[in-house]
Amino acid sequence: MKSFVSKMTLLLAVLTLVLAGCGGDKKSDGEAKDKGDSKLEGELELAVFEGGYGGKYWEQLAEKFEAEYPDTEISITSNPDIGELIRPEIIAGNPPDLVYLNQTDPSGVTQGLIKEHGLTDLSDVFEGDALDDDKPLKDKVLPGVLDSVYMSPYDDGKVYLAPYNYNVMGLWYNKTLFDEKDIETPETWDDFFALNDTAKDNDRALFTYQGTDPGYLEEILIPAVYSLGGEEALDQMLNYDPEFWKSDIAIEALDIFEKIASADNGLMNGTVGLDHMQSQTSFVKGDAMFIPNGSWFEGEMEGAPMEDGFEFGFLGIPNFDGEDQQLALNSIEQMYIPAEADNPELAKEFLRFMYTEDSIKLNGEITKAPMAIDGASDLVEESLSESSYNVFNAVESDMYSISGNFAPVPKGVNVEPRDTLFDQAASVMNKEMTTEQWADKMYDVYKQVQEKME
Amino acid sequence: MKKDNRQKGFILLCILPTLIIFSIFIVYPVTQVFFKSLFSSSGFGSGDEYVGFANFIELFKDDVFLKSLKNTGFLMLVVPVITLLLSLIFASMLSFGELKEKHLYRTIFFFPSILSFVVIGILWAFIYHPNMGIVNEIMTAIGLDQFALTWLGNKNTVLWAIALVMVWQAVGYYMVMYLAGMDSIPKELYEAASIDGATGFQQFIKITIPMLWEIIRITIIFSINGVLNISFVLVTVMTSGGPNNSSQVALTYMYQQAFVNANFGYAMAIAVVVFVIAIILAFISNKLTEQETE
Repeated sequence: MKSFVSKMTLLLAVLTLVLAGCGGDKKSDGEAKDKGDSKLEGELELAVFEGGYGGKYWEQLAEKFEAEYPDTEISITSNPDIGELIRPEIIAGNPPDLVYLNQTDPSGVTQGLIKEHGLTDLSDVFEGDALDDDKPLKDKVLPGVLDSVYMSPYDDGKVYLAPYNYNVMGLWYNKTLFDEKDIETPETWDDFFALNDTAKDNDRALFTYQGTDPGYLEEILIPAVYSLGGEEALDQMLNYDPEFWKSDIAIEALDIFEKIASADNGLMNGTVGLDHMQSQTSFVKGDAMFIPNGSWFEGEMEGAPMEDGFEFGFLGIPNFDGEDQQLALNSIEQMYIPAEADNPELAKEFLRFMYTEDSIKLNGEITKAPMAIDGASDLVEESLSESSYNVFNAVESDMYSISGNFAPVPKGVNVEPRDTLFDQAASVMNKEMTTEQWADKMYDVYKQVQEKME
Repeated sequence: MKKDNRQKGFILLCILPTLIIFSIFIVYPVTQVFFKSLFSSSGFGSGDEYVGFANFIELFKDDVFLKSLKNTGFLMLVVPVITLLLSLIFASMLSFGELKEKHLYRTIFFFPSILSFVVIGILWAFIYHPNMGIVNEIMTAIGLDQFALTWLGNKNTVLWAIALVMVWQAVGYYMVMYLAGMDSIPKELYEAASIDGATGFQQFIKITIPMLWEIIRITIIFSINGVLNISFVLVTVMTSGGPNNSSQVALTYMYQQAFVNANFGYAMAIAVVVFVIAIILAFISNKLTEQETE
């Protein structure tokens, strides 16, 4: 018996030692905090998301930056799963100096840092002058972008995230089909539903969407709410005011989806079970007349089988009364400096460098997308694909593009209202739920969020 | 006495490496899961707030979590039963049947087990494709148009559709395990039984199953645990939990909460519940099958 006890004691002692060893790692992170001098020298760690825009732009930009600032050295980590790569570094208190990663990234790293207030205030970068111009940098950025919840998540007038490329989203159609058959593009939602017969004659459903990724439907819902109730109603919805879901505006906007579900030939067969690539492929093959997606659409579908003569046409989002402009939703790619970054001053300089005309052009050439800078789409016109140039051009001339993004939920809220909102779409499309039930459900969810907001 | 101590020291030295690895990679993370489940945390280290059992209380009011638990339970019940039953039947057919193509079948049935789960998920997402998938093409071709459903988009069919993939994936694997077991059953038993006039079915029930019982016990636990893991991959690849969370399972929901919504503490509470359930299930199935051997 005695030997058993002593064995166990020994075992426990070893275990404790091991556990203590593990715990010890964490404490050392304080040393990493000794921030470098604010002189423009040293090493800049740049972590970028490698998505549709690739990683080449950053390499070339870094080379140019190093040539301009000889005392600096930039190391780039570029990866499609960059979030998973930097998560441990952030937790260990040694994050990269500058990160390009969107809030919507599945890794949730950016979302988490926003929730955690773990970002450096960038207001001085935008208040200060641009590198190649005498006016403040903020005047060069597209109007409304810096005030949007994308860049100023806490509604305190401070900018925590810097804008990179911008995307415009709305409904797409096959331009060739509409031109050849003399079909008028719909201006209002009534026009939209009236096209159902034409769609049927042309052997396709009226509408499809990215079934298992229903978040794409926000490209319709946000402009629809704006069109009905203006900025005020939109703010209510995006900032979790439960009363919004009791309003007629909410019901009318959500009703678009129930109408699609209940119309014969309205929703493409099987849409709910398809992922984004499957449904988009069905669309370009001519199985559906409209689909929501962003300005990256043509690039994304490169190499996919398409129906004869298919050409990407951007419609934007119809309105309700026929008098307003067509609408579109925009989103902006986000960059930020983590709060514990070693070299924030150099990172800020790099950001300023990124907003010079030469860099914008370089970005356009390589990524085929404009940055969220006034006049950027003209600067990079030659580099854009035709469909995306048309999109940006439309937005800069006759379409109104809305910045709308759901506000970050307060800490301690374990529901994600945006997910819940669009998850219900599947039930509505399967005719298992009515618009009113949908709105009631959202009322309850928003109530929960509101309770934690005080 | 002195020699005894030296021997003990040597034993301790031998188990030390394993113990350290076990502690770092199993004991430490598991205790952390329990610990973190008591916090409201985004998973980024700072700003954790102690909330006691609030996460658990909220968990059992969260209808998505309850749905995901129900779905997990459904899969844990349905998949092992069907898989193991089919594996047993196939194994005995291959082992005792007079099939010429025995080896071919053995290979074909085992084939899905060497494919990665992600590949299987993508493959079946296309097999179930509502407009160009082979399932619906066949249905239409034989005139059953009304049964050409959106298998993965309908809350009534989606779980069965996923269960079928899991069965398809695992049958071959367990079949090979049973085959190995059957080969080691002495042939005399069957000879004696057939002299006494026992039919093939009686032999299967009275000889094969009891002789295989130890293997069956292990496969039951394997297969229940497998459901937990594999369902995560398949659901992520095939449906993302849709439509409207009808195919959400506990682990996909945990992942979503931990890494997409940055509700790390809440996700750890889910992990604790899943952990407890898995332990209880393993315990129950072990106990139930143990009694039957005596």
